[in-house]
Amino acid sequence: MTDPGHDEANETAPPSAAAQEPDESLRSMLRGALREEEPPPNVLAGVQKRIRERSKGKFYADGWSTAKHPPLNTYLITSLLMLAILVISYALLSPLVGSPVPVRNQPVPIQVIPR
Amino acid sequence: MADRRDVAAHPVYLAGGVADAEEQSERKFIERLAQRDERAFNELVELYEARVFRLLLRMLGRRDEAEDMAQEVFVQIFKAVSTFRGDSKLSTWIYRVSVNLCKNRMKYLARRHSEGEDELEPVAERAALDEAKGVTFGDVAQPDRLVEGYQIERVVQQCIAELDPDFREVLILRDLEDLSYEELSEITGLADGTVKSRLHRARSMLKANVERKMGEKIR
Repeated sequence: MTDPGHDEANETAPPSAAAQEPDESLRSMLRGALREEEPPPNVLAGVQKRIRERSKGKFYADGWSTAKHPPLNTYLITSLLMLAILVISYALLSPLVGSPVPVRNQPVPIQVIPR
Repeated sequence: MADRRDVAAHPVYLAGGVADAEEQSERKFIERLAQRDERAFNELVELYEARVFRLLLRMLGRRDEAEDMAQEVFVQIFKAVSTFRGDSKLSTWIYRVSVNLCKNRMKYLARRHSEGEDELEPVAERAALDEAKGVTFGDVAQPDRLVEGYQIERVVQQCIAELDPDFREVLILRDLEDLSYEELSEITGLADGTVKSRLHRARSMLKANVERKMGEKIR
């Protein structure tokens, strides 16, 4: 039903007032067919990501995802920090760890009842 | 009746009326947008995302395409908002950007023949057209009516998809988005008479196509 042959010159004459009235049955059918039952998606995060990437981090910058080069200093500092936390944790917790208490497995003496 | 001086002392009236206050508020908002205020832009997206998505979904007929397109529309708005002169309402301008980008995408999709081409059931097996009024897939409780409602919806959806984008645009903006003829003129860039004429033709074409596919007249 595509009508590629329509030209604007033929369209300029507006239809009569009666013809401009919307056909309610048609409108109702349209609304029924094109009713959106699912809620619209949240596009904000996607828009921000696109703007961030296309502006090379100028807008909505997070300093990570759009940097031209990997942020080596950040990685290095984070790694050293994590290592320091591990060492401190070990130093604090290691004295609490003692050797296991030995278990003596000696047989219980048997008492013989005299006759 | 309130004292005229009291009314005039109200901050809204100081600006020259409610409409003026709204205009001023919009102008300030546009200024913030033009200055690339990210918070203002977030507000804009949250304010218009549902409307833009719904329009694009109706135009494109595919949810994934509409979501992708909606994101692209807002990116383009972010880029171009500094060129917005305020000749029309911000909402009208957003609609115009959406429609133009959407039509470009439709042309691209048409070239790639990526539109779905579901085969429909033979005409004789379909339900009467009266049942199409407001009947949707979700409304129908009985299984047989559910299939009928679904088929009618599919026919109407297919007929809309077959409309030329220029006709589809005015039909959706007027009959589904309830925009005024003036807004349609601003969005499409056409004269008022041309909009009315095109809308009339779009309705006639859609009606004729639905009737032809269903094999009966719409009453």
